[in-house]
Amino acid sequence: MLLKEKYAVVGCVVVRLAVSLLFPSLQTQLDKSVELSTPMSSYRLLNEGIFLLRNGFPLYDGGVVHHPPLLVAFMSLIEPQYLVALLYALTDGLISYQLICMARFFSDLGLPTWLPGALYALNPLVLLSCVSQSSVIFTNAFTSTAILCALNGNLLTFAMALGAASYLSLYQLSLLIPSLYLLSRENNQRSRATLAVLGVFAALLQLSSVVTGGSWKFLQATYWSQMNFEKLFPNLGLWWYFFIEMFDMFIPFFKAAFNIFAISFVLPFSIRFQSQPFYALVLCIGWITLTKPYPTLGDAGFFLSFLPFFKPLFGYMRCPLLSALLFIHAIILSPIFYHLWVDLGSGNSNFFYAISLVYALALGFILIDLCWSMLRIEFDGGRPNYKLKVTQI
Amino acid sequence: MRLIGMVQLIGIASWIGLFSRVIRAVEAEGTSLGFEIDQDIDLQGDCNESLGNYKHNCKSGFLSNEGGSETEIEVTETVIEDAPQPTINLRTREDDSIAVKDQIWYPYSEHLSIKPLPKNYLLASFDFDTQSNEFVPGKPSTDFDDYSHYTVFPKAFKPILDQTSTRQLHLRFTRGFWDAESWGRLPHDGFKSGGSGVEIWAILEADSKDSAFRQWKTLVNSLSGLFCASMNFIDGSKTTFPVESFHPVDDTTLPLFDQNKQLYLVRAALANEPICTENLTPLVKLFPTKGKSGITTLLDGHKVFDSSWHSLSVDISTDCDDQTERCSHSLQALVDMVINVPNTLARSENPIPKPLPGDKLRCDLDKPHDAFHCFQLPYETEGSYGLSQLFGKYIQGSSLMSQEPSQVCVDIADSWNTFIQVNGSLFATTDNCFELKDFQQQDIYFESNNTNEVVDVEPVPVYVSRSLTGYGQDRGGLRTVFVNPQDEPVTLIYFESLPWFMRIYLSTMHLEDNPQSPVNISLDDILQSTYYMPAADRVRPTHLEYKITIPANTTLAVSYQFDKSLLQYAEYPPDANHGFEIESAVITVIEPTTYQLRTATLLLLLSTPDFSMPYNVIILTSTVMGLIFGTLFNLLVKKMLPVEEADKIQEGNGLRNKIQLFKSRIMAKFNLKRREVKTDLKE
Repeated sequence: MLLKEKYAVVGCVVVRLAVSLLFPSLQTQLDKSVELSTPMSSYRLLNEGIFLLRNGFPLYDGGVVHHPPLLVAFMSLIEPQYLVALLYALTDGLISYQLICMARFFSDLGLPTWLPGALYALNPLVLLSCVSQSSVIFTNAFTSTAILCALNGNLLTFAMALGAASYLSLYQLSLLIPSLYLLSRENNQRSRATLAVLGVFAALLQLSSVVTGGSWKFLQATYWSQMNFEKLFPNLGLWWYFFIEMFDMFIPFFKAAFNIFAISFVLPFSIRFQSQPFYALVLCIGWITLTKPYPTLGDAGFFLSFLPFFKPLFGYMRCPLLSALLFIHAIILSPIFYHLWVDLGSGNSNFFYAISLVYALALGFILIDLCWSMLRIEFDGGRPNYKLKVTQI
Repeated sequence: MRLIGMVQLIGIASWIGLFSRVIRAVEAEGTSLGFEIDQDIDLQGDCNESLGNYKHNCKSGFLSNEGGSETEIEVTETVIEDAPQPTINLRTREDDSIAVKDQIWYPYSEHLSIKPLPKNYLLASFDFDTQSNEFVPGKPSTDFDDYSHYTVFPKAFKPILDQTSTRQLHLRFTRGFWDAESWGRLPHDGFKSGGSGVEIWAILEADSKDSAFRQWKTLVNSLSGLFCASMNFIDGSKTTFPVESFHPVDDTTLPLFDQNKQLYLVRAALANEPICTENLTPLVKLFPTKGKSGITTLLDGHKVFDSSWHSLSVDISTDCDDQTERCSHSLQALVDMVINVPNTLARSENPIPKPLPGDKLRCDLDKPHDAFHCFQLPYETEGSYGLSQLFGKYIQGSSLMSQEPSQVCVDIADSWNTFIQVNGSLFATTDNCFELKDFQQQDIYFESNNTNEVVDVEPVPVYVSRSLTGYGQDRGGLRTVFVNPQDEPVTLIYFESLPWFMRIYLSTMHLEDNPQSPVNISLDDILQSTYYMPAADRVRPTHLEYKITIPANTTLAVSYQFDKSLLQYAEYPPDANHGFEIESAVITVIEPTTYQLRTATLLLLLSTPDFSMPYNVIILTSTVMGLIFGTLFNLLVKKMLPVEEADKIQEGNGLRNKIQLFKSRIMAKFNLKRREVKTDLKE
C-alpha cells in the first residue's frame, strides 16, 4: 500500500469522524434533510427500530420501521453514539480503500491508484451522507465489496457481499446480472455465483425471520413497502410527486411500470457492454440510482465515485459541462426550494418537484454521456480518435 | 298478572290521549315557526323590565297551554290567575276522566341541577335516566313470537344494541373550553364529558377482534343516522381498542350472554366535529317528555349551543340479575352547559349588538372618569335573573310518567337567593331543591348581591395541556405539560390516539428541561407502564397509553417528535390548508381520586401538493423518463458510423434521393418516347 493510498483511507476516516464528533448536532440536521435521508434509510427511523426492539415492541407491526431486521438488530448492539459514528466512518474508509483496490485492476488507465479513494474521501455528497448516518452507506459498502470480489474472482465473498447488499436494498439484486460478466466462465463460476448470491439472500431472509420471532411481516415492511412506494415523502427521485398526484385507479399500473423501469436497463447494459463488465456494472448502479423509489444523494455520491475510472472516455463526452451544471444546480437549489415550500410556505411543492426533475435530468445526462463515450471508444477500437465525427443510425 | 296488564293498557291509552294533545299543540306551534321566534324576542323585551322586581306585568303571547288557546299570565307576588284546569292528570288527581286506581309510573326520572360559577358563569346540568323493560338475554329479537315492549326506553336503541351485541355504549358530544382553573372540576368528575367534537366508545360482545370491529362499524353507522353526526366516517384508521383507559370501574358486572365470546372495548373520536341542534334534537326526542314538558322544555338549541361550554352525553349499560337471569338496559343522558350569564342576558335583551349608552356604562370610580373617560369594571357582581331569560323558555309542567316529579336543585352560597315561580307566585325551599308541578308554567329565579361568592369549587387534581411544537410542515413535536398543584403525587393514565399521517418517534420521548421540575427526575422513574401500538398507514392510528406519576407540586413536560406524511391527492379534504384536527388526549387520574379530563384538540398542518398539477406532473415526469429512456435505448441499439458514411447511407434513403430517382426514371421513359417521335418524323 502506497503512502498516498494510506493517506486517502485514513483521511477519509478521520474527516468523517472529526465532523461527526465536532458537530454532534449536524447529524440530526442532515438526517432531517430529504436529500440525504428517506423513510427507508434514515437514521432516526433506524433508531426508532432499535428503541422498539430494545423495549420489546413488535418491530414491523405498523408502518414505522422499514429497515431490515438484521440491520436493526446489529445496530442495537452498538451502544454509545461515538461508536456508531466510528462505525460509519470506518465503513466509509472501507469503501474508499476498496475503490483504491479496484483502481489497481485498471493500471493501464493511467490513473493513480490513490485517486479514486482520495476523491471518495473528499466527495461532499458521500461525506454528508456518512455524517447523516443514513443506512445507504452499508448498501454501498457491500456493493463495492461485491464488485471488488468479482474482480478478484473471490466467489464466496462476492456472493455474501452481493447477497447482503440486496438484503439491505432489494434493487441491488439486479446488479447480479452485470457482475456475472465480471466472473470468469470457467468451471461454472457464473451459475455457482448466481446460486450462491440467491442462497445468501434467502439465508439472510430466513435469519431475519428467526430474529423477528418467526414472522415474515418484515418482508412487507421492508421490500414491499419500497416497491409499492407506500411512504409518500418528498425525495430527489421521480416517484413521489407522480404518485401523490396520480389518479387512484391508475396507481397500481404505474407502480408496476415504474418498478419495471427501475430495472429495465440492467440487462441491456450488461449485454451491450459485456466486454467491459466493470463499466456495465457502474452504469447499472447509475441507472438504479436514477430510477429507484427512495434515492438519496448518498447513492449518487457512490455512483459518481466511479467516474475516475472513466478517465479515458472524458474526451468523448458531449455535454460534460451541461450535466455538471445541472447537477450542481439541483443539489444547491433543492434544500432551498424545499425550505421555501415546507418551512416558509412562500413556495409550493412544484418548486421542489422541478428540482427533482432537474436532478433526474442531470443523472440521466451523465449516464447518456458515459454510454455514448463507451460506444465511441469501442468504435475507435480503444485508440481514441477525437477528430473522427461519428453518428448513429 | 292480568291486573297489571290492564293497568298497562290503560296507561298506554291515557298516554295516547296525552300525546294527541301534545301533537296538536306542536302543530299549532309548528304552523307559525317564524312567528314563534319573533314572539320569543318580544317576550324577552317585555320581560326585561321585570328583572329586579316581579311587580311588572310580563305578557307571554307565544306559549300555548294544554287547550291550545292563548292565556295571559299575570305575574305578581300576590295575584294568581289560575291556568285552565288540565283534563288528565295521572298521578295526583282522583277525579280524572280516565280513572286509574293504581299509580302508574315508568322508570324515568329527570333532574336539573344549577350551580353558579365564579365570574358570572352558571353551570346547568340536566340529567335524564330511564330503564328498559326486562328481557331474556341471548334470545334473538327476530323471533316471530317475540314482541318488544319498550315503554319509556328509546325504541331506536334496542335493535341497534341487539344487532351489534353492545353491552355498554358511551356517546359524547362536547364543545367549548372548560376553564378548570376558575371553575374547578368538570361535572361528574369529567367522566361524562368528551373531548371537543364527538367521542364514542362501546363494549361489544364478539368472537374475535375482527368481528368486534365489524359490529362496531355497524354500531357507529346506525348511531350516525340516529344522531345526525358524521360517525359514519369512523373507520379502522380512527378506531382504537383502549387497554387501560375507558374501562368500567367494575368489569365483573358486565354480562356475557354467550360464554364463548369475549367483551371488547372499542373507541373512536371525531375531533372538532361541529355539535349543533341536529345532535340535540334527536337526543331530546329520546325522552318520553320529548321537549314538551318537564325540564326538557328548556333545551333549546339556540341557547344550549350559545354557551361557553356544553356537553351532551348518552350512556347505556346492560345490567343483569343473576337470580332471575333477566337483563335490562339503563340509559343516562346528560346535558351539561356553562352559560356566560351577562352575555346571554344581553343577547336576549338586545339581539343586535350595540355599544352601551353612556349612562349604562359601569365605570371604575377609583379611577378618573367623566363623560369621555371611563375605566370599565370587569363584571357586575349584583344580579338577578330567571331561567326563562337564560333559556328563552319557561319550564312547562313536570314529567308525568315518572314516580318522582322532575326536580330542579340549585347549589348556591349564602349571598344568593333562589325561588321557583309557579303561576306568578314565588316559593323558596330550605334545601333549594324544587319539585316541578304538573301542567304549570314555572320558572326559577336567582338573585344575589355578590355573584362572585359561590360554593367552593373543588380543585382539579392535575392540569394537563398539550401543544404542537416546531415550524415546518414536514415534521414537528408534541409537548404535554402536566401540572400537579397538590401536595401529594398524582398517578394517571395518559391515552392518546394520533392519525397515521403523524408518524411518531417514541424513541425521542423525553422529559423536557424545566426550571420548575426537579433536576434529578428521569422519565423512567415516573413512567410506570407504556402501551404503544404504532400506526399503520390508512389502517389504524397510533395508540399510546402510559401510566405516569406526577410528583407533588411539580410541573413536567413530556415531549416527542413526529414526521408528517404526505397524502395522496384525493385523500386531502377540500380545505386541505385548514389543517387536520387531532383528537384530544384523555387523562384518567386514578390516584388519589378518580377524575378524567381531556386536553384541547390540535390543528396539524400538513404540506400539500399543488392540486392543479395532476396532468402536468404526469406529463413532465413521463417526458423526463421518456427522454432518458429513449436516448439510452437509441444509443444501445443503433449502429455507429462515421458521419460521411452515414450521410451517404442517409442520402440513399432520403426522400429527395427517392424523388430524384423517380424523376430520372420518368425522364428516361419520356426521353425514350420523344426519341421515338423524332425518329418517326425523320422517317
